[in-house]
Amino acid sequence: MPIRLDPEANEPAAFVDFAGSLTGKRVLEIGCGDGRLTWLYAENAAYVVGIDPDAEDIARAIANCPPHLRERVEFRVTAIQEFEPSEKFDLALLSWSL
Amino acid sequence: MVHALERIRQLLEPDGGLVDIHPSGEPPPIEVRIGPQATVVGWMKETDDFIEYVQASAALSQAIERGWFDVERKGTFEFSTHADSVADLREHLAKEWKDAILDEAVAARAEQLLSAVERDKGLIVREQIRIARLRPGDSYGPT
Repeated sequence: MPIRLDPEANEPAAFVDFAGSLTGKRVLEIGCGDGRLTWLYAENAAYVVGIDPDAEDIARAIANCPPHLRERVEFRVTAIQEFEPSEKFDLALLSWSL
Repeated sequence: MVHALERIRQLLEPDGGLVDIHPSGEPPPIEVRIGPQATVVGWMKETDDFIEYVQASAALSQAIERGWFDVERKGTFEFSTHADSVADLREHLAKEWKDAILDEAVAARAEQLLSAVERDKGLIVREQIRIARLRPGDSYGPT
């Protein structure tokens, strides 16, 4: 393993601390990339939409999505300005993307 | 950037929340680790001199001034990238951190220190990351 990112797991710890309970929440992740952070919280959320303008990253996220999360995690290739969801969200996550 | 925040405000429930995570904009130190000892050999640079992160902070401030969001909490954490060699770090930067610049002098210094021992060594890039939780403010952006 030549590269290890955040082996101390500081990022997920900070996210969990700041996001609070996600049980039953609808979450929008902006700049989800390949889903690196998505898998950390999607288990508890009611529904997650991850968006990213990078089609290759979204393809990786879709391919990497654990089977048990596929019914409530959706990925779309889009920028936030063009994103037109059918309902509002309880939490938005701007993941290194502002 | 501020328009993205305006759009997010429109997509959130009134009692919803926004968690923003972005680098602080301070150049991250590059350390060579030999056993338990780490030595700073230089700092990572970016082609735009980290201006995008400064702009991200400014956009957040603007969204708060406009009443779109109120800050609930702010904090920082360290995000570290560990590489076994300078070559591995270069490969990672080329794929995942395209605007990063690893100075040749810094790379040479790192190579020199790493070549002095056989094992239990590596490179660490330590980024300071800002995290904030915001709630929708009273002022709604145009829909």
